[in-house]
Amino acid sequence: MRNITYFIKTNFDLCTGCSICQLVCSERRTGGYNPRYSLLQIKHTKEELVHEPVICQHCKNPYCLAVCPVNAIKKDKNTGAVTIDSDRCTGCGICMKYCYLGAIYWSQDGLKAVKCDLCGGDPVCVKECPTGALEFIMSGGEDENG
Amino acid sequence: MKMANGYMEKFLYVDLSKRTVNEIPVPQWLMQRYIGGKGFGAKILYDLLYPGVEPLSPDNVLMFMTGPLTATAAPSMRACAVTKSPLTGTFLDSFFGGHFGPEIKYAGYDGIIITGKAESPVYLWIDDNKVEICPAGHLGGMDALEVNQAIKKELGDDSVKIVSIGPAGENLVKYALISCEYNRQAGRGGAGAVMGSKNLKGIALRGYHVVRVNDLDELKKGIKFAQNDLAASPDVQELAEYGTAPTVPFASENGLLPYKNYQDGQYEKCENLGNAGQSRYLWLKSAACMGCPIHCSKIGVVRTGKYAGTTTDIVEYESAAFFGSNLDISDIRAVAHLVKLCDCLGLDSMSAGAAVGFAMEACEKGIIDSPDNVKIDFGSVEAADYLVKAIAHRSDYLGNLLAEGVKRASERLSERSMEFAVHVKGLETPAWGPRGSTGMGLAFMTADRGGCHQRGLPLGYDIGDEKWKGEPVDPLSCEKKAEIVCYLQNYLAGTDTLVKCDFGGFGIQPATYARLLSAATGCNVEEDLFEEVGERIWNLTRLFNLREGIDYTQDRLPPRFVNEPLPSGPAKGHKISEEDMDYMRSDYYRVRGWSEKGEPGKNMLEKLHLNNENIFRLSK
Repeated sequence: MRNITYFIKTNFDLCTGCSICQLVCSERRTGGYNPRYSLLQIKHTKEELVHEPVICQHCKNPYCLAVCPVNAIKKDKNTGAVTIDSDRCTGCGICMKYCYLGAIYWSQDGLKAVKCDLCGGDPVCVKECPTGALEFIMSGGEDENG
Repeated sequence: MKMANGYMEKFLYVDLSKRTVNEIPVPQWLMQRYIGGKGFGAKILYDLLYPGVEPLSPDNVLMFMTGPLTATAAPSMRACAVTKSPLTGTFLDSFFGGHFGPEIKYAGYDGIIITGKAESPVYLWIDDNKVEICPAGHLGGMDALEVNQAIKKELGDDSVKIVSIGPAGENLVKYALISCEYNRQAGRGGAGAVMGSKNLKGIALRGYHVVRVNDLDELKKGIKFAQNDLAASPDVQELAEYGTAPTVPFASENGLLPYKNYQDGQYEKCENLGNAGQSRYLWLKSAACMGCPIHCSKIGVVRTGKYAGTTTDIVEYESAAFFGSNLDISDIRAVAHLVKLCDCLGLDSMSAGAAVGFAMEACEKGIIDSPDNVKIDFGSVEAADYLVKAIAHRSDYLGNLLAEGVKRASERLSERSMEFAVHVKGLETPAWGPRGSTGMGLAFMTADRGGCHQRGLPLGYDIGDEKWKGEPVDPLSCEKKAEIVCYLQNYLAGTDTLVKCDFGGFGIQPATYARLLSAATGCNVEEDLFEEVGERIWNLTRLFNLREGIDYTQDRLPPRFVNEPLPSGPAKGHKISEEDMDYMRSDYYRVRGWSEKGEPGKNMLEKLHLNNENIFRLSK
């Protein structure tokens, strides 16, 4: 038996760079629109031949959780979601420093660390992506031999 | 707290001569009467410019305008550049997608208004409310995409959004474009030359403002309606799959595709240039403008041959036609190279392809001689490559001549060459030879920026199965065309205030646009608003052009479409005669409520309240 982790798989080959994911994510956070406030990025490379969405993978061994000095970051036992308790977060920024993907951001007021929380289990970015470039995936759980 | 309304309620005003930067509140009346985008641009240009202003002088105004739905999640919204065209001397609006338009609003502005001329080359760096005029001497001569990369590197941030010009803009080529990030351009009419004339090599933007609407829940409902509209449209679904590439064989079949500078309307190798050829030789995946689910772009790479390794977007219909069939070039890889060259050097690929076609015909007819090192001939990729570079750099006699556009070039050459200089009011007509569609002919004759298909595209009625008032439309008759074209011009001008994308408009219904606009602004509007505002704008741009001395005598088609019958296709033998033009022109003025000389009279100005409007000024 392996632990279940839900995460958002990104498919650069399907991403059109339309940023609808970022628009709806920013809307959820701010009540308005600006991709700079979304909790995912799209890297545009090779003269825009490649649009690569980058979002928290809810790692099985999250560096952010390990380095947090105040235990503000938790991994949910049932869903595997890695989330930040903003009440505990002191805004030291060490989690951002050691997140390999750069998937942790400052809150709008610049005082706390914020990251993708999978919208509590029904991520809007996945729902609104027009091409399937973002997929909501369950990994782990019972293998074939039980 | 003030209720949000989709607007940022500020323009950024930069005077490059005085090196001053000011924020100007957007007047309430301007929002109410002109909504945004084309409406803002038309009104402000009319009010700020004095008659006869030289387009490439410091006194011309260059604007980048957004609409109340730009930068929201409302699908397929864009922005526009507005100025007086150096190519035509008319009002010019040139629309672009991508990411620059939304970033104007994220930076806190509904538009950017630029006047004057910098003493030496500069770029603007707009970082939210902090605006700097930065030296750009080191960017001189770089191509448009090199400038994009160089500025991002200099500012140390890849997320900055940039518009830039290439050498063509610096060299004041009359149809130089403004490159709006990768694969998006404000292409037509020479806005890039206006930028060049101001010594402005680029504008970099970064914005942290949140764009808020009046009723978010209503907007989200409207977005669902819009998504359903798009999904229900076969045209939009084809664009999602293949972009505009299938239009190449479609246009050829219907005799509308320019072949050898419109000498004919069909091209036997059209499939090579359409989706069949492009998907095989170029495409890798779909790409999209910000917030657009249609993803009409097909980005890819040339895999084989001389141009292997070139990254290319879809060769969209107009470019495929102008550098393909128009020049008798059937290798889509070569066409992709030539179009990319235009993008990088900063040339409108439509006017550039038309100018090259004109030159090839002029050589064919012995009116001009080929340079010593290359033979200018239809079918020659080498010749096209040579001419594109010569135009952008104005590097020799021929390049310098063609850089002025086919109207001026033909006037300088000979009367005989004017017979095959294909333009309306100086703007090279699009890749829709109108001899098989009189409605298209009338649309070109009357478009506010000259020969343009995007101000009214009556093809659906003429060639497709759309009915006008329940009746089928004869593509070769002159009846009903005025009504159809007026309706389309008004509606499109009205929705170009939002700023909608034409492709989105193929699917999204008028009522849905009204719903989205209502949700954003909080003013409850009905769908007929767009025709009403569109008619106001259309009359205003007409007044602008009349004030510039561009009158009814220029509402006509070029000789090729009038004198030479179409050699092949379903409309074989047809032309749009002087009588046809006279009939449609009179009928058009009648429907518009204009005088016989195409002037909006006192009654019309009163009806549209254009006689006693506020005047926009650049003071606080």
